[in-house]
Amino acid sequence: AMLLFSRVNEAAKYEKKVMVLDFVTPTPLGNSWGLGGTCVNVGCIPKKLMHQAALLGQALQDSRKFGWQFPEEVKHNWMTMTESVQNYIGSLNWGYRVALREKKVTYENAYGEFVQPHTVKATNKRGVEKLYTAERFLIATGERPRYLGIPGDKEYCISSDDLFSLPYCPGKTLVVGASYVALECAGFLAGLGLDVTVMVRSILLRGFDQDMANKIGEYMEEHGIKFIREFVPIKVEQIEEGTPGRLKVTAKSTKGNEVIEGEYNTVLLAIGRDACTRKIGLDKVGVKINEKTGKIPVNDMEQTNVPYIYAIGDILQDRLELTPVAIQAGRLLVQRLYGGATTKCDYVNVPTTVFTPLEYGACGYSEENAIQKFGEENIEVYHSHFWPLEWTVPSRDNNKCYAKIICNIRDNERVIGFHVLGPNAGEVTQGFAAAIKCGLTKEQLDSTIGIHPVCAEVCIRSHLPIPASVAFWDKLLETQTSEFY
Amino acid sequence: MAQRLALRRLLAGPGRALGTSAGRPSAFNVQDGGDFQERVVNSAKPVVVDFHAQWCGPCKILGPRLEKMVAKQEGKVVMAKVDIDDHTDLAIEYEVSAVPTVLAMKNGDVVDKFVGIKDEDQLEAFLKKLIGA
Repeated sequence: AMLLFSRVNEAAKYEKKVMVLDFVTPTPLGNSWGLGGTCVNVGCIPKKLMHQAALLGQALQDSRKFGWQFPEEVKHNWMTMTESVQNYIGSLNWGYRVALREKKVTYENAYGEFVQPHTVKATNKRGVEKLYTAERFLIATGERPRYLGIPGDKEYCISSDDLFSLPYCPGKTLVVGASYVALECAGFLAGLGLDVTVMVRSILLRGFDQDMANKIGEYMEEHGIKFIREFVPIKVEQIEEGTPGRLKVTAKSTKGNEVIEGEYNTVLLAIGRDACTRKIGLDKVGVKINEKTGKIPVNDMEQTNVPYIYAIGDILQDRLELTPVAIQAGRLLVQRLYGGATTKCDYVNVPTTVFTPLEYGACGYSEENAIQKFGEENIEVYHSHFWPLEWTVPSRDNNKCYAKIICNIRDNERVIGFHVLGPNAGEVTQGFAAAIKCGLTKEQLDSTIGIHPVCAEVCIRSHLPIPASVAFWDKLLETQTSEFY
Repeated sequence: MAQRLALRRLLAGPGRALGTSAGRPSAFNVQDGGDFQERVVNSAKPVVVDFHAQWCGPCKILGPRLEKMVAKQEGKVVMAKVDIDDHTDLAIEYEVSAVPTVLAMKNGDVVDKFVGIKDEDQLEAFLKKLIGA
């Protein structure tokens, strides 16, 4: 995993002998990948590239209004895109091999599992076993997509582990799930011109600000993505083999007995991910895991209940499942273990971005969590819709982009929640995350001069009246006492 | 694919052209460490070794260009191709970081090297130096 990489490079820096065991158990459909972990191979990287492919499709449409002339209808070639994406990933896999070698880290493409204290067994793809002992161990085995447990799921459905290297265009697709993985994939597939339906069991983007989640869903729906709400698949059957084939999906309502059927070329399951902690021999060394979720509880030094065994990344209980979090945690862990440092990983105010067709950047509390933690009367929410200048000429939505800032009145109107829905949301959010880390207050925000004309300036209180892209401030009355201004 | 090429070579007999203008195969794909030892390290003639990867765009340009220039040398130099993902050990042994990396080898030693794309004149000079030196 990529996290392993940052951490082992750090350890090797302190002249410790380091070994990495990285192995990808093939997907039910036989798919596998190289060194780098989920983010590099079947997560963030290919996702963002395919999201970009979809955005470029939109840009092509917009470009006509800016004077670009091209006569034919523009089509997308799945294979060209996928080959380019996989080529880039290949270069990253190789880059990590080289980096490990340069830092003199021993790398084995083998499945590691504990067999007794201080000892792991490494099994390579040919079944050859070797035993290794070490002073300390770091588990960063990550997660894999969950399957539904219904007839036909493993035989006929794909997951994100398969999607980014699919050797044929998926065609008419049913995405099952409402996670960011589901919505991001549904988003770019639709953006490439495919017929996409999302089947949602209950709410969208559980854990995220629900006001923003609903806006994301609305935007997707208004832009041609179909949603089937409050249904779960109970059976997937193959009508016809092929690349893609034809599948029949039977689904049942979560609210009653209604059963529906639908035909799709591809069914993509994105209903969650399970930690890879059940088959690595943790019982042999006494590492406690949460039996229900498979996640590993650690202290604030990323140490498990076994003092010489540490854990990083998505497998941690009560931590964020984000690549940069794992990288930072890993780097600091090694600095503490071998560099004499004491800094712990700060898991508070970690910014994140969801790359749905309308991107969503966030840092800090959701509105509902802020209300729960501080009390409705103690928070102030400032919000505004905005119309990106680039969207004016091509007549794109003028009331969908949205920014929301949540402040804690009791603490000098400190900014405790930042939410933005619009183009380049990740780029917009990154800087504000640093400001929030420094204790940004509403007053400081107000006294910051905006950059014009950019989307991010909506997050600063702007006094300039701008025709057709007015950023106006409404103060959402959360309290009964504050004044209207 | 390399196996098909070897089979065709076998069936074609010596001296028959196999898709190259010079009338003899200019480049072969290294099969494994043993093959590399035999046909590159122990080669009587000087060898250029083209380390490349499927995912590398520039490699797809350099490969055919180098093959063409090697063919022009009328058999005085041999070209070996190594896919670094298939033969990672070899690539690591020869300290390949970026691709394409081309090594000039004589009597088992690396006598010259370059990384990245070169044009035909530069390749010709590189090959002539290897043959002549």
